[in-house]
Amino acid sequence: MRTNKIDARIVFGIISVLIVLLSLVMITSAQSSASGEATPAPKATATAGKIKHGTIGFSNCLKCHLDGFREAPIMPGDDHATYNDNDVCLDCHEPNTPEDGTVWKNLLPGSTPVPIQHPASNGLNTCYDCHLELGDQLTDIAQMWIESVHGKAGIGCADCHGGDPNTDEMKLAMQTESGYIGVPPRLVTPQICGGCHSDVERMRSYKLPTDQYAKYTQSVHGKKLRQNNDTRVAICTDCHGSHNVKKGSDSTAPIYPVNVPELCAGCHADTTLMESYGIPTNQYEVYKSSVHGKLLLEEQDVRAPTCASCHGSHDAKPPTSDEVVNVCGKCHTATEDLYGQSLHSRIGDNAPKCWTCHGTHDVFKTGEEMFMNHKPQEDKACTSCHLDNKSFRMDKARFAQKEDRRCDTCHHEGSRIMRQVTGIYVALNDANTVYEETESAIKKASALGMIVTDAEIKLREARTSLISARAAVHTTKLPVVTKFTDEVETSAEVAKTIADGKLQENFFRRFSMIIAVVIIIVIIITLSYLKRKIDRELEKES
Amino acid sequence: MEYQQNLDTTSRGQRLINWIDERYRMRELMGAMLHVYIPKESKTYYLGGITLLLFLVQVVTGSLLALYYRGTPDEAYDSVMFITSTVQFGWLIRSIHAWGANLMVIFCIIHLLRVFFQAAYKAPRELTWGVGVALLLVTMGFGFTGYLLPWDQRAYWATTVGSEMAGAVPIGGEFLLRFLRGGETIAAATLSRFYGIHTLILPMTIAALIGIHLLLIHQQGLANPRQPAKTAPEGNLPKKGKPFFPNYVLGEVVSWYMIIGLLIILASLFPVGLEAKANPLETPPHVKPEWYFLSLYQILKFVPRVMGVLLPMVAILMLFLLPFIDRNPEVLPRKRPAMVTLGIMALIVIIAFTVWGKIS
Repeated sequence: MRTNKIDARIVFGIISVLIVLLSLVMITSAQSSASGEATPAPKATATAGKIKHGTIGFSNCLKCHLDGFREAPIMPGDDHATYNDNDVCLDCHEPNTPEDGTVWKNLLPGSTPVPIQHPASNGLNTCYDCHLELGDQLTDIAQMWIESVHGKAGIGCADCHGGDPNTDEMKLAMQTESGYIGVPPRLVTPQICGGCHSDVERMRSYKLPTDQYAKYTQSVHGKKLRQNNDTRVAICTDCHGSHNVKKGSDSTAPIYPVNVPELCAGCHADTTLMESYGIPTNQYEVYKSSVHGKLLLEEQDVRAPTCASCHGSHDAKPPTSDEVVNVCGKCHTATEDLYGQSLHSRIGDNAPKCWTCHGTHDVFKTGEEMFMNHKPQEDKACTSCHLDNKSFRMDKARFAQKEDRRCDTCHHEGSRIMRQVTGIYVALNDANTVYEETESAIKKASALGMIVTDAEIKLREARTSLISARAAVHTTKLPVVTKFTDEVETSAEVAKTIADGKLQENFFRRFSMIIAVVIIIVIIITLSYLKRKIDRELEKES
Repeated sequence: MEYQQNLDTTSRGQRLINWIDERYRMRELMGAMLHVYIPKESKTYYLGGITLLLFLVQVVTGSLLALYYRGTPDEAYDSVMFITSTVQFGWLIRSIHAWGANLMVIFCIIHLLRVFFQAAYKAPRELTWGVGVALLLVTMGFGFTGYLLPWDQRAYWATTVGSEMAGAVPIGGEFLLRFLRGGETIAAATLSRFYGIHTLILPMTIAALIGIHLLLIHQQGLANPRQPAKTAPEGNLPKKGKPFFPNYVLGEVVSWYMIIGLLIILASLFPVGLEAKANPLETPPHVKPEWYFLSLYQILKFVPRVMGVLLPMVAILMLFLLPFIDRNPEVLPRKRPAMVTLGIMALIVIIAFTVWGKIS
């Protein structure tokens, strides 16, 4: 029995010692693994088969490792003597992506934007102080920031990049524990900006709206970014800049209305970039020669529509065919109302919209040629103007050329509608002729020095009616148009009567002048004769 | 009895003249005024007389305009519009007044140049010259104050830039500007002030100056452009000169008819217009003062303000003192090359800056 007891003790003791030893080995092993000293990272055991980078978000290895920036080991070192290319590094190492980093967790697509967490500034911005001294691009961004709206409003580097703005110890300032995130990846940039710009309380003092982020998530750009992780789409910094954000009212800002078309064209005119989206790239070129483009770019009239006026800015998307009327109607409100009275507007999706007659990016100056081209027309089928599919919508290609945007492109020659069109055409033409004749008579009288203010007032009335008549074409109703053309003729006739009266008066003035001058010449000749006579007498006497 | 006989043998007109003459001795006065003699070599080109005619034209047309004009910002523009478009021959009166003003300045300047190049300003005519220069300044003052009265955009803004120049005068310029405008900007106070100056103060001043100018000329007679003048007047010497009346006066009348003809042609072919009513909130492009201030306005663009105002002030002072500065008794241009060259150069500079100001 005793022997059994001793045996049992020995076995228990051996097992205990083995357990303790095993535990020690495991603890030691765990410690050395945590300190990263002992075990060389087994290449094959990592999830992606690569060594994870210690900090977050860097894929440009040599930016830090070439000169030991932020105390990074200098490469190429002894053990990586031949590795001097970023791509070579990435063969074995893997940058720490946002998905891996805890810092990005609340910035991932789909989540609510929150500001970057970092130690509050004690009125310091040590990032700026150091960067100003670093030279090249690093100094440039510091200088750009101080001049930017953010710099002026005291929104510091840490508010976008994280980190501690109070310490001048670079290592402490730019460590992950201080919330440092480095250059924010494009995927999460809108959320970082939205962190502040969606905050009603925060934006109130700047009188800025807070719906940009919400709009952006609904835009074509935002949807592609969020749903497809497509980082080629426009993000906040592409339009507003990053370190050099300026107010929209600053004429040097990229978002200043006059600069917007070129800003959008930066991407949308890039054939390589747009190829994968299947979007044309000639919009900017076409827009430049349109009435809108000329007004904005040549006359610098900021009331003219930019890309953003029709497509939206933060909520950028192409307006659909139905929406075009609403988009144009934002500015052309009166015309939109008139269009609302027309039969066109009642047909629905398949009806001609603004673009059918006026184009989109190539909106041109309207004229009488838009009624008809006075040429024999070929027989028309439904598919002459409508798409040959179930939608039966207007065929955009049919109206691609300006000269094809006419009433008789769709309407049959000799039809009741075309008779109405002809009536409108004749009424407008006649009104225009009367207006021009009156204008010419007034100009003639004015050039002769006559005061024609009263005639000009009447002519302005005629002009207002003429503009109304032209706009009334959108109703497609002859009586509405003739109501205004009749007004044109009435006002123009009054103005012309006044102008003709002035011309007659001018004739009288000139005729009277000739008579007066003739009388004066006769007097001068007579007096000169008398003078010569008495002068001669004087000479004789002396 | 003799008196009765006299009445019988003379015409009614003659009797009336006699009636006046017996009481007021008018024949003597007229004789003293008209029956004087001028040097045969004199070439006045009737310039002074023409300027006098233009002044008289301005008095007549100005008086007619004053019957309709109303000098308040609310009514001025409409009243001028009424004169120009509704009043019978109102356009003619207003156009002649405007053209007459321009011609008066032109003839004043040409008259001054004639006197300068013929050296008629020299002793003993220093005072006549000085009064003449003052007359030119008053004439320009008429132009400046009259330009505002139509109260249209051109009037308002030309006066704005014109009066700005006064503000550049060192020491007291600000006061002068406020004094001219009757406030900080051109407003109702300026209009009534300008109207008062234009129709009361300046006419009285110019009438007095013209009176003195003519009296001095009458006392000294016309200068001889060929011979240096003697300090003491030679008196009325019939044999050495030609009679002022009727020979000279007839020539003057012919020149007056020519100017009247010119005025009628200018007023008929180029009647003066009216721009939009003055709007202090809308500055039209290319605001310029009247042509006779253009050279000064253009100079002011290139030199410091103080300098640009001091320069013409010194020039005007020099002009007044010219007879005392230029003591060379010679009158023929070839014998006074320095002065003639200086005069031509000054003229070229003024014309060049005026043209430059016009086209810029």
